[in-house]
Amino acid sequence: MTRRELWNPTRRDLLRMFGVGGAAVGASSLLAACGLGTGGGESSTENGAAEVTGGFDWRKAEGTEISVLQTPHPYQVAFQPLLAEFTELTGITVKADLVAEADYFTRLNTELASGAGNYDAFMTGAYFIWTYGPPGWMEDLKPWLQNSSATNPDYDFEDIYEGLRRSTSWDFQVGSPLGTGGQWAIPWGFETNVLCYNKTEFDRRGIRPAETFDDLIQLATDLTDRASNKYGIAFRGSRSWATIHPGFMTQFTREGCKDYEKQGDQLQATMNSPQAVDFTRKWVELARSAGPTSWTNYEYPDCTGDLGAGTAMMVYDADSATYPQNIAGNSAQAGNLAWHPGPAGADGSYDTNLWTWSLAMNSASQKKLAAWLFIQWATGKDAQTKAVQTGQAGFADPTRQSVFDGAFKQTLGNFPGYQETFEKVIASTDIKFTPQTQFFETTEEWAVALQDIYAGQDAKTRLDALAAANTTAVNRAS
Amino acid sequence: MTTTAPPRTPTPAVQREPRPVPAWRRGLRPYVLSIPAVLIIVGILYPFVLGAYYAFLNYAAVVRRPVFIGLANFAEILSDPAFWTSVRVTLHYAVAATVVETVLGIGIALLLNRSTLIGRIFERVLILPLMIAPVIAGVIWGLMFNPQYGVLNYVLGLGSTFDWLGEGTAIWSVILVDVWIYTPFVAILVLAGIRSLPKEPFEASAVDGASWFYMFRRLMLPMMWPYILVAVIFRFMDCLKIFDHVFVLTAGGPGDATRTLQIGAYQNSIIQLQYSQGSTYMFLLWAIVFLTARYLVSVLGKAQRRAAGSEE
Repeated sequence: MTRRELWNPTRRDLLRMFGVGGAAVGASSLLAACGLGTGGGESSTENGAAEVTGGFDWRKAEGTEISVLQTPHPYQVAFQPLLAEFTELTGITVKADLVAEADYFTRLNTELASGAGNYDAFMTGAYFIWTYGPPGWMEDLKPWLQNSSATNPDYDFEDIYEGLRRSTSWDFQVGSPLGTGGQWAIPWGFETNVLCYNKTEFDRRGIRPAETFDDLIQLATDLTDRASNKYGIAFRGSRSWATIHPGFMTQFTREGCKDYEKQGDQLQATMNSPQAVDFTRKWVELARSAGPTSWTNYEYPDCTGDLGAGTAMMVYDADSATYPQNIAGNSAQAGNLAWHPGPAGADGSYDTNLWTWSLAMNSASQKKLAAWLFIQWATGKDAQTKAVQTGQAGFADPTRQSVFDGAFKQTLGNFPGYQETFEKVIASTDIKFTPQTQFFETTEEWAVALQDIYAGQDAKTRLDALAAANTTAVNRAS
Repeated sequence: MTTTAPPRTPTPAVQREPRPVPAWRRGLRPYVLSIPAVLIIVGILYPFVLGAYYAFLNYAAVVRRPVFIGLANFAEILSDPAFWTSVRVTLHYAVAATVVETVLGIGIALLLNRSTLIGRIFERVLILPLMIAPVIAGVIWGLMFNPQYGVLNYVLGLGSTFDWLGEGTAIWSVILVDVWIYTPFVAILVLAGIRSLPKEPFEASAVDGASWFYMFRRLMLPMMWPYILVAVIFRFMDCLKIFDHVFVLTAGGPGDATRTLQIGAYQNSIIQLQYSQGSTYMFLLWAIVFLTARYLVSVLGKAQRRAAGSEE
């Protein structure tokens, strides 16, 4: 039998083949419509809180398994051994997937955009709410908090610091302040951005931390000795939005600067105001004269690592990032570090920008009650107290005042100035950025501008260009 | 007395009738044979077309209902100085890295062509950088570049003040890492070419008293040209799409000094969730790579024809 006899396709055969091909492409389109690889677009899922009725019972979702997306972090590490207790309490099994922080938000974006609901709950920062919230990817937790059938009467949401509660709530309207609209995440752990310094070295020289920004510049410059590979102060400088939010945004705010102002129904970028230009120029000069040589690549582990190694004399960053460096065995300078609020503003302001790792619910989850019970348990008093007491790398800072005043204060014996610093800044600690949906784009551009100024560009010219670009970006029709 | 066995006539091989193929299998064959085409359509063409389609929408995380906006994304990106900076950085990177890797690769291949013990050992060692994932190479070099505790400044006696990843030096540092990773690839490809060359012309030239350099320039290089061009095409295409170790080392900074087109696309799509703008970046990158590849492949064809002895 010849090849030709084996297969002599007719026009009908060819049409059938194209039909198969077309079906495959059609199937792909169907997958795409389901959100695979194309983004699920706007979520149309209903809030699930109303479905929960009857009395509160931890075992209401017994037998369920939930998936939680997390990134390796002292908070997550502190809670990992406690998950068995949660399962014992509720009958819910938790499958926690870990993704390194460098890739975490990329993965989270993909997961949420797919609309597939693979993860029921996830760790998130407050700024991400401004991006994940508008498309409807996050469940509003306010109805859950208000439903006594779903929330333990002992939960005490108001025990969580007010600045944190406000920072994770927004109505997504341009120019609206934080604290309006839904509660999109529950703060789980947080950090204030303050100064950590090498107390042993300061004591040896008979010096004290600076109380004004100009004094800080002078002090850091005096402490810098490049020949001995020692420099005055470390803070972030990499090409990332994360460069702006810790020390920079804290001091920027204390110096009386604002990122945006509302004008009519639009936002106007003001990071080029005279005060902002002056402050930015000084900040970059501080990096140049007293910062790490490779400042434009510095992220928080580099900063805290240099502090722990004795290379950097001060770090202006998250208190929870410097906290582990003082735990015995964690660094060469363990036991030598102390904390200070950092320079006050000209008016005595201790305005401080915060970062919070919070727990949020995927609006596409099919197990919302179980996810809420997990979030509620993890952010509750009992679990947080245990995490503080048993966390190997510490659990700084707990988000609840009762836990801070109770178990956490008992861990601070060898952390000079930590508690005083925290208590000095906490009342004026919240998110100092104006909430807006283009946060990552505009804030990364801000970091790029700092790098350009560091490379020699004129601060005023560069910040004018940045403000013009960011004004356009934040008012872009969405 | 010996007896001889009568010669045995070979038994004819049994001629088996081929079994008739069942009708159901005959009917299935067109579908089985079309699987590769379907896979190409589903796995390559469909995502490509979909990605290209996104370039014509205003698709972003914060846009609730994406709509068709024609060429607006292209207009916006092509009028953005940051895009042209990315094009310039990408071309700078690709040209510099390809030239250095090609020159070094040819040099190393010529050295390795001499069959010595050290050469054979070095040949094995040479491929080690190729076995390391570029991301890991980026992390390793990042540690070495660090002015505070990196080994490079220490060994070179630069103290803690020289910033390998600073303004003006970052682009050359990321090119250096590329050279470290991929020069062995070029060397191996060229070495394979050298070893496949005929020996007779070289022996004849040696008898005529030609110098080594004359033989290299007049004989070896023209015959090796197709192999060199293959290496150049591979490296240049890869360099146009560079992302991994550059992102690990600098994330595109300082400023926009190392922001390649791929990094621009990543930042638009993944960090800023501007999917359409990211797709537009990628579509433009694809156009650049496609046109460059077409040109280089035509050059390669001419070189191969010349090496084979046929004139244009």
